[in-house]
Amino acid sequence: MFKNLVRVGLLSAVVLATFTSCEDEQQFTNEKLDAKRVEVQVLNDELAKVRDYVPLYAVIAHRGSTFWAPEETEASWRWAREMGADYLESDVQCTKDGIVLANHDENLKRTTNIENVFSENVPASRVDFYMSLGFSRADAEAQYGRDMAAFRPFYTLSYYYAELLMLDAGSWFNESSLEQARPTFKATENGRFEDGKIVYSNGLYISAIQDQIAYAQGKRLVRDANGRRILTYKVKDEYQGMTLEQIYNAIKAKGEYNAKYMDFIEYDFANAYEADPEDTGNRPGIYVEFKESWLNPGNMEQRVYDALAECGWNIITNDPGDQPFYKNGKVNVGNTRGRVILQTFSFDALRRANDVFKGRIPMCYLLWISEPAYATDIAYDTPTGYAAFIKWAQDNGAHIIGPAISGAPNNYPEMNAPWQAYMIRRAGMINHPYSFDSWAQMCKYMGYYNYGWETEFDDLLRLEIPATPYCTSSYPNSVPVYMDGFFTNRTEMSLRYMIENGFRGNPALPNPFHAGQKYDNSQANVTVPDAVATLERLGY
Amino acid sequence: MKKYILMPFLAVFALTAAAQDFDTDPTLELENAEKEVKFTVGARMMADAAYYHSDFTPLQSGASITDARIRTSMTYKDWYFYADFGFGGGKFSQKNIFLQYSHLDNNDNTHAVKVGYYNDPAGSMARNTSLGSYHFISRPGSSYALGEGRELGISYKYNSDRFMAYQGVFTENHYNKIDAGFNGITVAGRYLFRPLVDDYQTLHVGVSARFAHLGGGEVYNNVLKKSLHLGQSLETLVDEDEQFVSADLDWANNVVNVGAEALYHNNKFFARGEFLYKHVTKKRDSYSLYIDAQNNIDGWGDIEWWENANKLKNNNFIGGYVEAGFQILGNGYRYNKQEGLLGGMDGKSLELVARYNYTGLNNLTDGEYYNAGRGHYYANGYMEDWPGTGATSVGGGDIHSVTVGLNYAFNRYVLCMLDYTWHKLDKPFLPNDKNFHVAQARVQFTF
Repeated sequence: MFKNLVRVGLLSAVVLATFTSCEDEQQFTNEKLDAKRVEVQVLNDELAKVRDYVPLYAVIAHRGSTFWAPEETEASWRWAREMGADYLESDVQCTKDGIVLANHDENLKRTTNIENVFSENVPASRVDFYMSLGFSRADAEAQYGRDMAAFRPFYTLSYYYAELLMLDAGSWFNESSLEQARPTFKATENGRFEDGKIVYSNGLYISAIQDQIAYAQGKRLVRDANGRRILTYKVKDEYQGMTLEQIYNAIKAKGEYNAKYMDFIEYDFANAYEADPEDTGNRPGIYVEFKESWLNPGNMEQRVYDALAECGWNIITNDPGDQPFYKNGKVNVGNTRGRVILQTFSFDALRRANDVFKGRIPMCYLLWISEPAYATDIAYDTPTGYAAFIKWAQDNGAHIIGPAISGAPNNYPEMNAPWQAYMIRRAGMINHPYSFDSWAQMCKYMGYYNYGWETEFDDLLRLEIPATPYCTSSYPNSVPVYMDGFFTNRTEMSLRYMIENGFRGNPALPNPFHAGQKYDNSQANVTVPDAVATLERLGY
Repeated sequence: MKKYILMPFLAVFALTAAAQDFDTDPTLELENAEKEVKFTVGARMMADAAYYHSDFTPLQSGASITDARIRTSMTYKDWYFYADFGFGGGKFSQKNIFLQYSHLDNNDNTHAVKVGYYNDPAGSMARNTSLGSYHFISRPGSSYALGEGRELGISYKYNSDRFMAYQGVFTENHYNKIDAGFNGITVAGRYLFRPLVDDYQTLHVGVSARFAHLGGGEVYNNVLKKSLHLGQSLETLVDEDEQFVSADLDWANNVVNVGAEALYHNNKFFARGEFLYKHVTKKRDSYSLYIDAQNNIDGWGDIEWWENANKLKNNNFIGGYVEAGFQILGNGYRYNKQEGLLGGMDGKSLELVARYNYTGLNNLTDGEYYNAGRGHYYANGYMEDWPGTGATSVGGGDIHSVTVGLNYAFNRYVLCMLDYTWHKLDKPFLPNDKNFHVAQARVQFTF
């Protein structure tokens, strides 16, 4: 018995010694540690070269502004340009006649008065509209029937661009943002069909991508004496002399992507803009988001490619060469190879954009999470899942990751925690989180709250920011920085933060993508105009 | 007269004593020869300690009372009642409970009819073997992932020296606790042939087959949705996490199990192995689900489109293991002919054991793309927004496991076991988890 007890004791001692001698290791899933050890695909040299087309610490005016003016309109984008934003951001969809236009939502109900102007049917003026283009009534009525079959109320794809110019894209803002409401945001006359032609409204419009580029170039819309924009249109030359039925069949024969669209009208964008008298010289780029793939034709990315090329903004067809991001205190991004950044949440759009642009224009892959996961969401927001999405993004020509950030007023899910920013940096990709509304968010993601404190991610994220004459402190700023640029609804606030903390107007910023190299943005704008005064100066 | 009554009683008891989850005789026995009744009480306790080392996802090392059981039985003439109840993990659980009628024919062959809750005959040789008699700390993973456990039903078993035929009809849930549907039905059988059998050695080869029609499920969009879960732990009971090797098969309808097994032992050596195959068919009321999906403007077009985006595929999985042991000292390995199973360590003994196990729960479709951030496969080789993925792959995990062990029995009641297992995993959802090392020890007390 005693021997047995001794044996049990010895055995237990061996087992105990075996277990207790094991090294002290991670005993639970820890994202902070996993972010360092999970395998992350690194951007290849070709993509890294395009990545460097994008200015560091870019201030991206989210939809122009969602706070100060009606989003994605002439007012919000002119304002953002004049405030000194680096990019004017937009969401693009397609009209029935193939115009690439800016609209965030899947339909036009929130940001226009479409429910008041059109019913839930094909616009009653559609037959007259066709006849105004020279088609017979019978032909027009037959086409109206075909239009009805493909009609989806209030979706951009159901309307001709000329019809959408009958809408007021500003009055809704006055109703929803009472403190920022301005009489000039509201049209005084709605659009209508009159005397055999479409009469546009006279306020703010749904914007075409050509409009957005024009604002970035320091222009504004040409308007008539009643305040209506001047944009003429005609049947494209290739369809002249054909009936609508013949046009319909000809377009349909071009392939499935065109079947629902009647891309036969040509708009005279060349004469739709004039120099903006209030332009002070900033030349921001544009940051274009492909929306839900199922809302738009399968060749939407090609259409954007073509639209950019027509405007001279496609760097693949029109390389501007090496140009500085800033000149003489003005934004010059719109004249550089980084003038256009593309973005999307959509798997399909990302893949198709890669087919078209082949990674030669900066592309941002946006991240979102929800429960249950929506069709394009990341479902497992773990280091492993994050790494899988980073790989997917790079394999499909993306250079930038765009994660959601938390905080009021949007209260989005946090997808840019330090460990996530660290993984993006490990991948050699730019981090453009969205979207900023407060100084507190700026502090949080620019590392202010970690000032002076060591963090787990200092090896890649901590930067020593030399002080500039524009900083509020004369000491260097040592912070872990959790982004490389950002979407903001408050351009004025964000610019001020960047300037006062040494991220803008600095000749010797460390370049996190090229160790030992400096990044010079000393020529950037270092004063921020007053937001309200700027709106008033622009005539709003 | 009493003598004539008592002899068949003892013979039947010898047949029935092993028909339970313990294969050792209970120590406490109450016998009333006059009323021809025998009552037994026994118990078992297993305490395990385990240390895990993984490449990435941690497991919870530590110690646990992995099994604590009380067993009772009563024998009356040809009738045998058995029940045991578990308290392991701090929770009460129903284990075996059954009534068996046995009959010894003129050729000394046995015929037994059993009704109650007990192991499915085709559940695998490993699952039919009591864990208390197993020569490893855990049964092979494939027997959990692809085998079956206890079911409620009735069976008939024929046993001779050369043959065993054991078949029955069962139902899937012994408490009938299902949200919707009915309790399902299973027919299963295990058939052994023993070309070699004597007092010192046995060779048996066998096949098993099982067909189950799943009946129970949940109501999903007004449609009965039946699912099947397959999974195993890393052959350990301290952390029974099944995330590394598991698959949930929605819309499962019928399940077919086919197994092949072989076992050989002599006094000093044993070797046994099984091959396990599982086929799962799927069925779904697509039309009702399609109609339910027509709830917004981004609907599904026609049902053909919907079905193409939500394909169903029947699944096939395989697994198996081989085990071997060498007894350094002891009374030799013994074979339980009534159960067609190898017995446990009997009295003071020392043995070395080794095992290789393979479990394959990856049933992939060529050309499909997997993204660990989505946890989905995509049919066309890349991620797509909508509509659905159209993919049919199952990525439950493929695992190869090698175990070596040392077991020492102080006596017939007290046993110590040491196992080391190396697992090699291939699971798309856990791309960073490749290697696992598991060191385990057990102290077991049975009476």
